[in-house]
Amino acid sequence: MTLINVPKPSKDAGNPNRPVSSLLRNQIEHLHIAERRLPPQYHSDIYVNAIKTEGEAAAYIRHVTEAIHKGHKDAAVRRAKAVRPARKSSKAKRKK
Amino acid sequence: MATGLDNLKHIVVLMMENRSFDHMLGSLTAVNPRIDGVPADFSNPDTNGNPVKPQPLAEFQGQLEPDPDHHFPAVDLQIFDGNKDAGRMPNMQGFVKSYFNQQKDIGHSQKIMYYFAQEQLPVLTTLALNFAVFNRWFASIPGPTICNRAFAHYGTSFGRVDMNPFDVIEPFKSIYSRLINASPKRTAKVYYYDTTSSTMEVANLLQNQPELFGTYEQFKQDCTGGALPDYSFIEPNYNDHDTDSGEAVASDQHPDHNVQAGELFIADVYMAIKRNPSLWSSTALLVVYDEHGGIFDHVPPPSCTADQFTASLNDTGTGMEFKFDRLGVRVPAILISPWIPKGTVVERIFDHASIPATVTKFFLDDYSPRSPREVSADVFIEPKAQTVDVTRNLLSSATMRDDCPEFDV
Repeated sequence: MTLINVPKPSKDAGNPNRPVSSLLRNQIEHLHIAERRLPPQYHSDIYVNAIKTEGEAAAYIRHVTEAIHKGHKDAAVRRAKAVRPARKSSKAKRKK
Repeated sequence: MATGLDNLKHIVVLMMENRSFDHMLGSLTAVNPRIDGVPADFSNPDTNGNPVKPQPLAEFQGQLEPDPDHHFPAVDLQIFDGNKDAGRMPNMQGFVKSYFNQQKDIGHSQKIMYYFAQEQLPVLTTLALNFAVFNRWFASIPGPTICNRAFAHYGTSFGRVDMNPFDVIEPFKSIYSRLINASPKRTAKVYYYDTTSSTMEVANLLQNQPELFGTYEQFKQDCTGGALPDYSFIEPNYNDHDTDSGEAVASDQHPDHNVQAGELFIADVYMAIKRNPSLWSSTALLVVYDEHGGIFDHVPPPSCTADQFTASLNDTGTGMEFKFDRLGVRVPAILISPWIPKGTVVERIFDHASIPATVTKFFLDDYSPRSPREVSADVFIEPKAQTVDVTRNLLSSATMRDDCPEFDV
């Protein structure tokens, strides 16, 4: 079995100040549409047109991605509460 | 006779960004002549008409700046060299001219013809030489990322040839919906790198079915714990960002992101599977690139079955409609499994619609409705339930290989 050495990228490979590419710009636009469909309490205060660098894009992408997950989780909790059986009926069951 | 196919339980797809076949694997013809890499007599004219030959001078970063244009009109120029005649044939002569359009610098435009030497990419080239490399895997559309990735998830881009969000048009369903709603139920997951990188499949999957998503860290845990779903789709890190444990360097290899960071990521995915012996013996990993990113390749994309959608001449930006009846530029694609004979080279034609086509046939046997493009796409793993044509079974070894490479990641 051959063990292959994988060289690491140079220390300056990452650059959060790099201008956003067209790919990231489109990802931001897609996330912005998704953000506007969320209830207001999940919205960020980030102005997407002002995002210029990868670092700024990353902060926005993280906010919206986490907000989408939280929005769905919160909605699931609310749905579960809405269908939970009344307490009285469970007590009555125990008495039997 | 039983073969490796009988052991297969998991399919994993890792889709990288924006590099062509010749750019990444073109050097391998010198090692294995059956690999259709850079031909000695291939060149592209620059804007003065002088021939520019491919050269092994590609750098990991800092060379393809600005990002080479790979939107529909630019790719049309790259493939057809500006020919708009009816009955035109692709000649792959317009890459240098297309890149020249961005900076009007003849010297700079020639960098689009650079490719990597084998030793620069120890991960991708080792995998290509050790498992099955596809000589004819093309992007689904001669266009950019989002519509090409849509083919990997839905088998169609619903008529889109651009980067705009698209709506899923009924009756077509994503491969994930097909699997999780099947009876018996199947499992599927999209693993994005982390929430700061997220996914390119925002418009439909993330905002409507976020439960389908996990992080790359979870992928590694699922590999270790034997909890990998039937089908996994992995997305690399799309941006440079800070994390609690330090800087996360983009690993998608999209120009101008560092190519070595992508090499590390591919090796890490491979080793995550390989370190669990039972997973290694029951998993096939496909490493593939979404599109060529405007970088040269010498193989003309073939025509294909038209999809049922048509992109208008306004959408294409070329003055011509597009019926989704031609594939995009060729991209690197490698299928990995210890049941694949070393040095396999596949000549059949594939595109990203082959991903949902393969996963559907393997796990569900059949599914309807699917797009005309997906229905006509070839599959790279044969369904176990049917009699397998031995010439099409890539996992054909009767015994599991013990000579597969390992990477020090």
